[in-house]
Amino acid sequence: MKRLATAAGLFVMAGVCLVAGLLLAFWYAPIDASSMGFSQKIFYYHAPIAETALVAFGVAFVAAIAYLRTRHARWDRLGYVSVRLGLLFSLLVMVTGMIWGKAAWGVWWAWEPRLTTFLLVCLLYSAYFVLRSVVDDEDRRGALAAVFAILAFVDVPITFFATRFLPEGLHPVVLRAGDAGMEGSMLLSFLVSMLGMTLLLAALIRRDLVIEEVRERIADLKTTIGG
Amino acid sequence: MSVEEGAKFVAAAYAVILAVLIAYSIWGARRMSALQRDLDLLEKEARRRAQAGEAREEES
Amino acid sequence: MSGWTRFAAIVRKDLVRELRTRDMLLSMTLFVLLAMVVFHFAFSAREEADLTYYTGGMLWVIFILAMLLGLNRSFAAEREERCLDGLLLCPVDRVTIFWAKTAGNLIFLLAIQAVAIPIFTLLFVERSYLGDLPLFIAVVLLADLGICALGTLLATISMQTRSRDLLLPIVFLPLIVPVLIAATAATTLIFAEEAGLHDLLARLLFLLGFDAVFLVAAWGTYDFVIGE
Repeated sequence: MKRLATAAGLFVMAGVCLVAGLLLAFWYAPIDASSMGFSQKIFYYHAPIAETALVAFGVAFVAAIAYLRTRHARWDRLGYVSVRLGLLFSLLVMVTGMIWGKAAWGVWWAWEPRLTTFLLVCLLYSAYFVLRSVVDDEDRRGALAAVFAILAFVDVPITFFATRFLPEGLHPVVLRAGDAGMEGSMLLSFLVSMLGMTLLLAALIRRDLVIEEVRERIADLKTTIGG
Repeated sequence: MSVEEGAKFVAAAYAVILAVLIAYSIWGARRMSALQRDLDLLEKEARRRAQAGEAREEES
Repeated sequence: MSGWTRFAAIVRKDLVRELRTRDMLLSMTLFVLLAMVVFHFAFSAREEADLTYYTGGMLWVIFILAMLLGLNRSFAAEREERCLDGLLLCPVDRVTIFWAKTAGNLIFLLAIQAVAIPIFTLLFVERSYLGDLPLFIAVVLLADLGICALGTLLATISMQTRSRDLLLPIVFLPLIVPVLIAATAATTLIFAEEAGLHDLLARLLFLLGFDAVFLVAAWGTYDFVIGE
């Protein structure tokens, strides 16, 4: 239960940062001077969510290595939880990215590097869950899932890099604000939201971990009682 | 694109984010309390059986 | 028995088995040729459609799909004959199995490509790229290495699951996308224009990097993948 208390604390801190970031984004940072105009404001949550998703997958990567070395179930649980949250955040990135794209370019979809990479990321980490679901033995499942989490994480930057090989087409390559350096006020708003999202991820990981542990404990008890 | 039109998209994006995150948090919280209840029940049952087992051993 | 001898032994075993039946080679080659024809019909909505800039993509999609079939087949055969269990019993370093299987798959793929690429050129490519042949071969080799290494690793994983060959495409395709992008770009350049070394260099280096990264990853994780 102490763990849940920490999670709750993290939730509160995250909430504070996120609300602060929101206020800063709308009342402190100026409206973007580029053609995107007001729709650029989406960036202040969109980009932090994207980075947080990648952080989540990074956590899964580290957890996978730890699992392969120690074979402790809790690393497998951490990996599972992190990938799930990473996938959730990635879906959000795609949705907000599409909304931003509609506002900025007038189309719901464009095969630009970031949207394309995150589409692949979603498909890739969905495969992680398919893999888990078709392995019956617990130890094998943990090991195979860990290897896949390692391969997947290594593939993400490679894929992003590769999408920049693609011809640019109709749409600008960058769905980014302040490529020429962000103004101080924009940067602050971004950083505060970034902190908030990361805290939120930490809070959700903590809480989800507790849920998984309780689930396993229940399963164990059921087998001892039932047997 | 004017500020008003842009604002609609911005609002939609933030609304989606908040809706999803809040929904996920609530789902987790409800899951947690349901699981906690199950856990308490099972632990009580496990203890009861352990005590019954000991009592039977003492008799024999 | 040194590592090299074991490696050669496993490769030879796989090659001999395949040459005896020629199952996989024939089927994969036939598949590749059929796929080319299918692609023609898929793109024939407009008369006189100029497919020049799609040739690279078609070629690599066909080979990737053919490889998926081939990998499933080769590992299914292992399972049926319980070869893998036998292999695991002997004192072979697990990773040697990986190198050997990858090499075997690479040889199969090259054999099929030796037949398929000339035919593909006949059907779809107008420009004579004989002048760029060394570069083209480099692209093919590097892309093949990535496909075979990643494919072998993932096939080993998917063969241990309940859904066997159904899982392989799902895990393989997202991971192989970078190779597809780079190989397609490089190949299209060669098929469509006078491609100089300069243009292709970035793509070649990228493929090289991809291969290096995933060969190292496979070397580090194969022990865990192949299990007890």
